[in-house]
Amino acid sequence: MRQTHCLRLALCISFFALLSRLPAQNSSEADLRQQLQLLQQQIQEMRKEYTENMNRMQAEIQELKARSAAAPAAPVTAVAAGQDATRLLQPGPGDQPPAEEAQAEDLLERFIQQHAAPLLPAKMAESLSLDASVVIDAYYHRDDSREGISHLKEHISGFGHHHHGHGHQHGVIENGFNLRHIELGLSAAVDPYFTAWTTLAFEHHEGVEVEEAVIQTTNLPWNLTLSAGRFMSGIGRLNRQHSHNWDFIDTPLVYEKLFGGHGVTETGLQLTWLAPTPFYLLFGMEAANGENELISNSIGGDELPDHDGPRLWTAFMKVSPNLGPRHDLQLGLSWLNARNQEQHDEDHDDLPDLWLDGYSQVYGVDFVYKYNAQRAHGHGDFTLQAEYFHRKKSLQVENSLLANDLIGHHRLDWQDGYYLQAAYGILPRWRLGLRWEEVGLRNESSFPDGQDADFGTSNRATAMLDWKLSEFSLLRLQAGRSNYHTEEGRQKAWELGLQIQVTIGEHKAHDF
Amino acid sequence: MEKPYVTTLRRAFGLFCLIFSCFLQGAESITILTTTTDLADITRQITGELAEVSSLCDGREDPHALTVRPSYIVKARTAQVWIRIGMELELGWEPPILRDCRNRRIQVGMPAHIDVSEAILPLDVPQGKVTRDQGDIHAFGNPHYWLDPLNGRLAARYIAARLGKLYPEHDAVFKTNLTSFLNALDVRMFGEPLVNCVGGAKLWQWQLAGTLDNELGKLPGEVKLGGWYGTLRPYAGVPVATYHRSWIYLLQRFQLSLAGELEPKPGIPPSPKHLHQLSESFKVKGVRVILQEPFYSPKAAELLASRLDNLKVLVCANSTGGGAGAGSYLEMLDHVISALAEALKE
Repeated sequence: MRQTHCLRLALCISFFALLSRLPAQNSSEADLRQQLQLLQQQIQEMRKEYTENMNRMQAEIQELKARSAAAPAAPVTAVAAGQDATRLLQPGPGDQPPAEEAQAEDLLERFIQQHAAPLLPAKMAESLSLDASVVIDAYYHRDDSREGISHLKEHISGFGHHHHGHGHQHGVIENGFNLRHIELGLSAAVDPYFTAWTTLAFEHHEGVEVEEAVIQTTNLPWNLTLSAGRFMSGIGRLNRQHSHNWDFIDTPLVYEKLFGGHGVTETGLQLTWLAPTPFYLLFGMEAANGENELISNSIGGDELPDHDGPRLWTAFMKVSPNLGPRHDLQLGLSWLNARNQEQHDEDHDDLPDLWLDGYSQVYGVDFVYKYNAQRAHGHGDFTLQAEYFHRKKSLQVENSLLANDLIGHHRLDWQDGYYLQAAYGILPRWRLGLRWEEVGLRNESSFPDGQDADFGTSNRATAMLDWKLSEFSLLRLQAGRSNYHTEEGRQKAWELGLQIQVTIGEHKAHDF
Repeated sequence: MEKPYVTTLRRAFGLFCLIFSCFLQGAESITILTTTTDLADITRQITGELAEVSSLCDGREDPHALTVRPSYIVKARTAQVWIRIGMELELGWEPPILRDCRNRRIQVGMPAHIDVSEAILPLDVPQGKVTRDQGDIHAFGNPHYWLDPLNGRLAARYIAARLGKLYPEHDAVFKTNLTSFLNALDVRMFGEPLVNCVGGAKLWQWQLAGTLDNELGKLPGEVKLGGWYGTLRPYAGVPVATYHRSWIYLLQRFQLSLAGELEPKPGIPPSPKHLHQLSESFKVKGVRVILQEPFYSPKAAELLASRLDNLKVLVCANSTGGGAGAGSYLEMLDHVISALAEALKE
């Protein structure tokens, strides 16, 4: 300690000596410049040595602090040590010529820089690092249905369930403990032109699925952004949210029944344009290959024609007026059009016997209102959110093993659904949420043989209570009463879920 | 020979160009977006009429936990300069805004992205390994640095310097405005007579070096310490408790002692056990004031106040625009410091 003190003393004296010589020699400019250069050199050297000293001293301060913390009501002085150095930096008190004021300002700045330099950590890390985060999501589920809630939901009448031979069933919820996929998110800026991120879902028993792998431009003119890769489509609102951002354990029925458990997640291109309006107005278009079992399936083979991609097109618009710091309103419109193929097993012999080819078309509208109470940890915040989707499938029979005369006939399906949910921050970190949802308000099919059918409506009411212990962990309790119109008649069930979800790694910012 | 109407036309055109260019110049005000209101106020003092300065936070909310909204994207889209607190304060909401705003100029690392934390004196920079087990710890240090008037001063200097580089044509104006802001800050800190006699920078240096009292003794008797420093000088070493570890910069600058935080770890709500321990230690230390922001629940502090005699809960805005008496950065500090002195007096 004494050694460093001496060193500092010597340094400061030399610095002061230099400074005091300055005003005396201001007769010629060249001299002054030389002096300044010398001074700069001196300062550079001094700063280097000082940094080293400060690092050493910092450790000592920490030690001292730790010791003094034990004593009650000790004044907080983190930068106190090493400050006596300035005692020598300043000239003695007395009359201050005005020029010296500017000099004093510079002196102060230098003194502070020397203080700050060793205290500040490296800033580079922020922009160069690869941000990684992992979400672990597990839940306990209990319901009183005979064959399990997944079976019930799959057999909701009218929406049709089509197995295409690869035996791939997403999100089967079992009574008891369930582990949702482990989500690994990685993101970073690529270079001055692109940014990229990927989300990998590791599913228990099923391997890895690429949820997202997006390359996005950062440098396009006219407020345009182009994304390529595998992305969650911008249609609707929940569609582009990962499951860890949902307000309930499960996704609304309308999503599950119209788009499947993963929503519209596609490989293709997305172009968005942020309009130069004083309020938020965004237009987007997507072209993708269309690999969604429920709306855009390409089977091809012997029985069906091959269609090259892109087979799926979307367009969407989002608008949000400025309503001040407490209120927030967002409205959206979506449209989707896709080539679609289906194969059916009409005689239930586990072999396809009816092949259809045609189009799916989806219209959607979404609405969110948010109230920000501006209290800590979401206390008093309120969110009201609703989405409606309508799907029309228009298919033509390409081949039929059972009835040849059906070839060329049409099958049409109209299905829709909506959900309405609200969440309120009852306490800091605690939220209470309610959700009401219906699917099949319109639930009609027109079969190739000329018959028409009108199926019933299914609904579900869900309540949830969640507790965000911190930004990184969440506990959620959810209870629901469902009333499904299935192929085996109307079936009701109670559903109960208890969820724990944690995030490790990088802090994830939330989208709006 | 030119025909007279050609000359007239030329002159008219010249005049038109001149007027038009003047109009363009006049309309061209710099659009600056800051993350917090304190930065906005300081920036406004420097730019004067030259810039249109707005802030994403409005001062009443917890700046850690702002939620991204579409209107922020719209603001960021047209911003020419982005000024942030840094040190991870905006970590939860800045990235999506910068990602979606389609504005290259203000991205991290660009000249128009100004991170003020680069120029301030930080506290609580963690040493050794940092894990989230320690609560909402910021790896770069405690980000509430604007509560130290010296850091406000440094922020102003830094913003003026950076803006001067971006807009060299306005550099002189920025410098003039900066000088008067610094002078206003110094006067509030040390009192007018002292600043006029000694100069602000020198006073800060004395204060930093801990030689202020010593040096003041050498001055003529009629020049007395005033301002915030004079107001809180009698309470040096007096223990004050806070809710969140956000007031440490203020306490440290005025040499008050931090008796403890109601949050057991940053961002973690007070537990009954922790409050019990605090009430014991507060009794021993003779803590008289708990300082907290308006957006935190006052229940824990009120519970402690009901258990201990002479313990007062002082709810004060710690950001510009965060409540009554906090119309500007200097007024906000003024309000906190006079309220604190008032509470400690009794």
